[in-house]
Amino acid sequence: MAKAWEVPGLAGDARFREAAGRVILTRWAEMMSYRDGTLLGEDIEELHSMRVSSRRLRAAMDAFEGAFPAKSFRPLLRQVKEITDVLGDARDLDVAIERLGGALADTPPDERPGIEGLVARYRADRAAETPQIEALFADLEHDAFEAHLDRYMAKHTGIRLADLKPKPPQD
Amino acid sequence: MAKPRPVKGLDPDRRMRPNARKVLAVRIEEVYAYDGVIADPGNVRELHDLRIACKRLRYLLEIFAISFDDDLTPYIDEVKGLQDLLGDIHDCDVQIPMLEEHLAWLSGRESEAARRLVERRAARRNEGEPSEAAFRAFRRNLDVGRRGAERAGVHALIGRRRREREELYARFVDEWRRLKAERFRPRLEAALGIDAG
Repeated sequence: MAKAWEVPGLAGDARFREAAGRVILTRWAEMMSYRDGTLLGEDIEELHSMRVSSRRLRAAMDAFEGAFPAKSFRPLLRQVKEITDVLGDARDLDVAIERLGGALADTPPDERPGIEGLVARYRADRAAETPQIEALFADLEHDAFEAHLDRYMAKHTGIRLADLKPKPPQD
Repeated sequence: MAKPRPVKGLDPDRRMRPNARKVLAVRIEEVYAYDGVIADPGNVRELHDLRIACKRLRYLLEIFAISFDDDLTPYIDEVKGLQDLLGDIHDCDVQIPMLEEHLAWLSGRESEAARRLVERRAARRNEGEPSEAAFRAFRRNLDVGRRGAERAGVHALIGRRRREREELYARFVDEWRRLKAERFRPRLEAALGIDAG
């Protein structure tokens, strides 16, 4: 599983509002770092990491919800929830295909056709998820969601992505 | 899925710790609100909601850990342990109906294949009485459409998932009781400086 990125400049005695901006924008950058790999679809771990990061982002938004006006913050939360949900549907199928496929070698011969049939069906369902993921990213881009989130955080927390410069862990 | 309860009295211009205490107090209470319902393994929705409550609490402990003096890692690990067990139970609760649906889907495919075959045969009725060879071809095509061979594997998988679910649930209940016996909640609240009141 992808390691969580360090939050730049976050101190234990930070004000709640400032911590909110730092954590949320770091988690956003962390999640979007897996965008290209997820779209490429060659390694299922990329989508998995993106989903894990989206959950971390959602958790951060839940944690710091009190730092923002409820009415304007709710649509941002809804958008992130949608990202988690779309990625979740694809991830569940990736896991099912991998587990069932991996268990085939130890499956008694009379049970194999059933498992193979199930894997084939899940593969078809998974292929149908790819356009949903592509549409999700296209919508984010079309709506300039990142720029909107960045401006919103700057307004309510004083933190901007360009100043924060979150980076992946070095190891 | 149960929505998180709103947290009152937060002041974003104060430091993280007093605000974190308020948020965490509500989320701890949310987890323990399920204490009375976990004794029934059939409470699928409640167990799922408890998993979500554990997940929220775990992530919040991770996020706010930096603002507390005590090391919260052992508490986070315990909550993660519960969350993982509940997650595995949830996987079974999702997979079993999916596999049952797959059996129904196989039946639907069989019926459809048989219906198409009968229709094709009916369309050729005016060609005269079917020969022995035509009957054998019909029988062969009917067998091709059958998905019976696939059922055994799916039934076996359903059986395995049900047994797995029973074992996971038993382990979860043991863990929940152990944490209660070890006074997990009061220890966590003390580490966070939450007045249990």
